[in-house]
Amino acid sequence: MALLTMTGISKTYQSGATALRNIDIHIKPGEFVFVVGPSGAGKSTFIKLLFREIEPTTGKIFVDGVDVMSLKPNEIPYLRRQLGIIFQDYRLLNDRTVYENVAFAMEVIEAPTEKIKKRVPEVLELVGLRSRADNYPGELSGGEQQRVAIARAIVNDPLLVIADEPTGNLDPETSMEIMKIFSHINENGTTIIMATHDKTMVDFMQKRVIAIEDGYIVRDDLKGVYGYEPEH
Amino acid sequence: MSLNTKKYFIKETYHSIKRNQLMSFASISTVALSLLVLGLFLMMVINANNLAGYLESQVQITVYMEDSAKGNTLTSAEKALKEMPGVVKVSSVTKSQALENFKKRLGDQKDLLEALGTENPFPYSFDVQVDNPQRIAQIVPGIEKIPGVETAKFGREVVEHMFQLTRILRIGGLVLVIFLAVATLFIISNTIRITVFARRREVSIMKYVGATNWFIRWPFLLEGMFMGFTGAVIASVFLVQIYLTLQNKIYTTLAFFPLLGSWPFLGYLTLFLIISGTLIGAAGSSISLRKFLDV
Repeated sequence: MALLTMTGISKTYQSGATALRNIDIHIKPGEFVFVVGPSGAGKSTFIKLLFREIEPTTGKIFVDGVDVMSLKPNEIPYLRRQLGIIFQDYRLLNDRTVYENVAFAMEVIEAPTEKIKKRVPEVLELVGLRSRADNYPGELSGGEQQRVAIARAIVNDPLLVIADEPTGNLDPETSMEIMKIFSHINENGTTIIMATHDKTMVDFMQKRVIAIEDGYIVRDDLKGVYGYEPEH
Repeated sequence: MSLNTKKYFIKETYHSIKRNQLMSFASISTVALSLLVLGLFLMMVINANNLAGYLESQVQITVYMEDSAKGNTLTSAEKALKEMPGVVKVSSVTKSQALENFKKRLGDQKDLLEALGTENPFPYSFDVQVDNPQRIAQIVPGIEKIPGVETAKFGREVVEHMFQLTRILRIGGLVLVIFLAVATLFIISNTIRITVFARRREVSIMKYVGATNWFIRWPFLLEGMFMGFTGAVIASVFLVQIYLTLQNKIYTTLAFFPLLGSWPFLGYLTLFLIISGTLIGAAGSSISLRKFLDV
């Protein structure tokens, strides 16, 4: 069974702008999928639909068999607990240490203290930040901050990690390190969907690539390439 | 809710108040001040109400008997009065008592009565007290039908003016109290709005990692309740002091004034302020949170 299914998804904003048109996608558990396309092609809309920050105008979305659109507002948090979400701007809490930022995601879902104490160091180890646990985000480099965000996203063992331009603010070398971490997480069985502009990375990884242009899926290759000229 | 989560909420509330120390201090002071004003008004309104009730209870009907009414007629009239619904006390005033009372009232000018000679113009009368002064107007016509009764008087205009005054006092007091409660609610909700706004990033991250709305709400609710509670306690301390001082002053200068005793009145008043302060605090934060929880 597909982990993520979208059928007939369209999204037209109140302004009248149409971001997605009749999208059908099936993503199996354990896949690593890049979502590429020019700026304004509908990638961000696609990502936001996955964790129901916005709702489609038409169509259905299923995550692990659950009809996302049928969820009541008070059920949305439980959908999001199955997902790990990573943003380009990291979105860390600057007044909390690295450890606290990661533990926060577990406190919020009311995990027992013992479990938090055991799990957070494990995840920090995985992203190579064990020694930085007591530092504040302001004391870290961009790459390190993104690794904290990744640790936070995977600390609750999500079914699906959704990353929106995670290397957008990072230099190529750091981007490569971040991508290795994603690759590692994926090898451990977690499904990853990543919207990106990073041509080098997409071409290097040789994973499934879905290209969106003007709201349509124009390509869906199992071992795809970026296929556009880099924008920056 | 697990113990762990409760600890988390208390920790978060503590940190939030500490982080926004100045703001929290300002809010608590404003809440204390508004609740103090609210409490002072309540104190006045309740005392005015008490005074009105006292004055009302003093209202009585004077039943004047016909000059010809004697012996049996008087006895049966008194019996009939006592049997009327709503009547609690009937006391008779004989003609000679009435004359004596009038003399006393005239004081130094009692010589004026000499013009009357030996004649006593005062009729035999009954003073009638009723359980509910508001019913006087309905009772009077029945009294006037009793054989031997000439007329029944109760100072209609004075009583009606007084009822009007006490009604205004009660309604005006209630409106003021509601107005002040709403003002306090507004102050607390604004303060919480500022703290939520300062933490909106944190709130949105909480939403992304799957926190329920209630999980996000609790620390803010506790913060609002804490501010309302602390403000109310401070207001109560001042209020008690003010009342005791006023009471002392009034007892030494206006001994007859029917001021409510400090206990249990002040106990109820402070309890009321603390409960409403805490509830207003909770309501204030809920109002300002609604908007921010839509992520």
